[in-house]
Amino acid sequence: MGFDMFKKILFATSATAASDHAARVAFNIAKSYQSNLNIFHVMGVPTRGYSQVVVDVKTKEEVSVDEDYIAWVTEEIKTYYEKYLDESLKYSIDVAVGLPAREILRQAKTMKPDLILLGGTTGDEDETVYKKSLAGSTLQKVAKAANCPVLVVNRPAASFWGGLSNIVFGTDFSKTSDKAFDFAIKVAKALDCELSVFHALDITPLHTGKMLSQDEIEQQIRESLRKIRARYESRLKELKGYSMDVWEGIPFIEIVKYARDKHADLLIMAHHSRKVPSGDIRLGGNVEQVIVRAGCPVISINK
Amino acid sequence: MPEGKFCNKKPIDTAEGINELLSDTSGNNYYKEMEKLEIDSDLLWKTIQNTCKSRIRTWLEICAHCGMCAESCFLYQVNGRDPKQVPAYKIQSTLGEIIRKKGKVDNKFMRDTMEVAWAKCTCCNRCGTYCPHGIDTGIMFGYLRGLLYQQGFVPWELKIGAGMHRVYRAQMDVTDEDFVDTFEWMVEEYEDDYPGLTVPVDVEGADIMYTVNAREVKHYPEDLAEAAILFHIAGENWTVPSKGWEQTSLAMFAGDWAACKMQVETVYEAMERLKPVRMVGTECGHAHRATVIEGPYWAGRKNGQPPAESIHYVEWLAEALNTGKLKIDPHKRIKEPVTLQDSCNYIRNHGLKKATRDIMKHIVEPGYFIEMSPNKEHNYCCGGGGGFNGIGLFRKQRNIALITKRDQILATGAKLVLAPCHNCWDAIRDLEEEYEIGIRWSFLKPIVIKMLEIPEHLQPEE
Amino acid sequence: MHDLLTGLFFWIALGVCLIGMIVRFIMYFKGLSWRLDRVAYTSYPAAGFKGAVRSIYKWLIPFGTYGWRTQPFITVAFFGFHIGAVMIPLFLLGHSLFLKEKLGISFFTLNATFADILTWTVVVSAFFLVLRRMVLPEVRIMTTLYDYFILLISIAPFITGLLARYQVGDYSFWLNMHIFCGELLLIAIPFTKLSHVFLFFASRAQLGMDFGIKRGGMKGTKMAW
Repeated sequence: MGFDMFKKILFATSATAASDHAARVAFNIAKSYQSNLNIFHVMGVPTRGYSQVVVDVKTKEEVSVDEDYIAWVTEEIKTYYEKYLDESLKYSIDVAVGLPAREILRQAKTMKPDLILLGGTTGDEDETVYKKSLAGSTLQKVAKAANCPVLVVNRPAASFWGGLSNIVFGTDFSKTSDKAFDFAIKVAKALDCELSVFHALDITPLHTGKMLSQDEIEQQIRESLRKIRARYESRLKELKGYSMDVWEGIPFIEIVKYARDKHADLLIMAHHSRKVPSGDIRLGGNVEQVIVRAGCPVISINK
Repeated sequence: MPEGKFCNKKPIDTAEGINELLSDTSGNNYYKEMEKLEIDSDLLWKTIQNTCKSRIRTWLEICAHCGMCAESCFLYQVNGRDPKQVPAYKIQSTLGEIIRKKGKVDNKFMRDTMEVAWAKCTCCNRCGTYCPHGIDTGIMFGYLRGLLYQQGFVPWELKIGAGMHRVYRAQMDVTDEDFVDTFEWMVEEYEDDYPGLTVPVDVEGADIMYTVNAREVKHYPEDLAEAAILFHIAGENWTVPSKGWEQTSLAMFAGDWAACKMQVETVYEAMERLKPVRMVGTECGHAHRATVIEGPYWAGRKNGQPPAESIHYVEWLAEALNTGKLKIDPHKRIKEPVTLQDSCNYIRNHGLKKATRDIMKHIVEPGYFIEMSPNKEHNYCCGGGGGFNGIGLFRKQRNIALITKRDQILATGAKLVLAPCHNCWDAIRDLEEEYEIGIRWSFLKPIVIKMLEIPEHLQPEE
Repeated sequence: MHDLLTGLFFWIALGVCLIGMIVRFIMYFKGLSWRLDRVAYTSYPAAGFKGAVRSIYKWLIPFGTYGWRTQPFITVAFFGFHIGAVMIPLFLLGHSLFLKEKLGISFFTLNATFADILTWTVVVSAFFLVLRRMVLPEVRIMTTLYDYFILLISIAPFITGLLARYQVGDYSFWLNMHIFCGELLLIAIPFTKLSHVFLFFASRAQLGMDFGIKRGGMKGTKMAW
């Protein structure tokens, strides 16, 4: 197939229904591109200070972690994904103890995957054993710190990775966005897709400081389009098809709308590394919002 | 069976030994073997004769059995005022009894004593400040734990913990390489946001040598990054030692004095090697007590001081805020009711109450900081101190012990609790898990970072 | 009998008490060890002294510490008992004359009415201390016969003294009993829990030094521990 961008994939999973959509995509990709799939599970949060006890993610009970327990959990994961695990799949299973985001990043640090694949939010944060509202969510932390693209599948509608034909790339003209663009071009080329470059003009008064007049908005749209052309068009020409658009509104809503409009199979964005100004990090940045809402898998790129 | 395979009088000195003991799930066999462990009464009595001198003997002798210590003990209060929880009773019926019987006590007695020493006292030393005779029962329990450790009657996790210090010179299996590696990794992760962020390893003559809690390396490495960020923004000339970076001491909880000495000496060696002006330790209470307050004596330093002036993180932070090295954006100060947990180990036992209050003044909008009652030197233990948090066997008792802190927090009405101590932080986390009172809790570092005014030249380029 | 009690026995009792106290006091401080106690006693004499003095002084004042203030009932009973227990033996007119005759020293003397009040306060306070031991579970659990015995020999001179004072029955019998009980008390001091009459100062001084030097005193804490 000639596609070797995802040779090593780190699939972080809770091995519960919450990760099912992500699992479908993970196994899809791994089988399509003969990737090495590392199924990685963080068993639970260490508790009791320095003791060996963790609160198990699945049962929410306190368990004592030792070799037997690790073997048992590994077996459980195998059983859970039984239908996917056939001989054609190159996979390994690892389990760890700790805070999920940190342990996923630690695993990534050693195995240096080409792609990290995460499931979506586990629903109501307060019901999980990971409630650490001051610490922020797993997704945010991994997306922010990972050295490789992070693919997130949140909604069931997004859980499909088939013959890709339309990729949407959202840009905010930052340096990170340029890196994300490099990646988007590569994928589009390798998979022979169309690439739509998109910028959302933030016209919320919170961002602009005032209500913009229609003339101002249209002026800015023209400027942004010029920017897109200058920055990306020369390389876009290498593709079989491309388009460039700028819409105004609330950025994450516009991106989701645009992706739907383009029948996108994949959304690629840079992770906004600039800190979120509001104190409440649970609201998250654009990427998090897009991930939660998008109808296709989203890849977030940081470095 | 005098000495068990898992449970015996020998300290653990090898990684294999640790793994073997770890393989005994929850210490089930360990505790079973403990029921048959023999007491070396001669050794016990000889040790007492050599180490139990006038201070403790006088305490035991002149105790008037007046019961004034009862109310001072949160475990007494929270266990239905059970008279068996009166500090004087607890120590008289254990250490007092061992001495009266000249060490000739039986296995059942020793196992009961173990429960009293680790599940009925957190060595918070509060009762000591309420006794007219100046009898500090917490100190005696510390001493008693040493005797119990010698005889092999020590909770499973603490035997392992002390072994970790013996083998890794850290409370967990974190090696020196792991430490430096993790620190560098974390700094890398944050250097985009804080240009120029580094972790200077083994720099001689720095103003600050920073030491940590191995748990941060193992489970909460963000804490390392946050420490680096704050030193960086404050413009400090700081360093971490590649060896001697672990400030904590589970050996102290276990009563393994030999391991305490080994552990603290590695930190002192680092000080002597790098000759920093000062040592700053992380936000941990017992680590400070072990390395700064008690450590010099374990290491045989007659002046009772570490080789370099050593301060707690809250002292450094208060100083940095007071002197303007770190500036808080007044708009970002905490604007919700917030309370503060005083750690026994450095508030009651080292008088650092002013430092934490100074910090609160800087980071909380006036009117939003609500003190617990009682507070400062009179504050209650979080409920998990002295090793209590980590002992599975006494988990039930520990969960009851959390009620005091829960009710103290509830009485403040605050939903945010600042806990600049690992043990307190853990206990408060656990109490939320156990009783679900809807609070959040945090160390100081992440809170302060969010509200800093970052000097222009340290800001990331757009 | 009276002569024997006020003569030889008095000297023996006083000697045993004083020498015993001195010896035990010295032994106490000799038994302190910077290493075992983990207090650098000699390195910071000023901080140690300040801590020790504060620790003793504050605890000698009724309601002078947080500890006293939180438990007013026992504080009242405690000071009611101890103020009289210290003042009466030394400053009662009769005692003063006796000491003047025997030792050639005398302190100021108490007004007779005040002395009566003090003595009754001691007895009544002792009653409440006993009652407390019997009624409160947290005190009862630790209380042994030995504790009652100590209370008994402490209070006996006061009760016999009062019986003599009000001449209930045979005055000279009660007076002799009073002297006997007083001497018994003196002898008991160095050998029993009553040693706290002087070891209180030693123990408080030690803890005061501990906190004054090592546990906060040098960081500016001004607590009475």
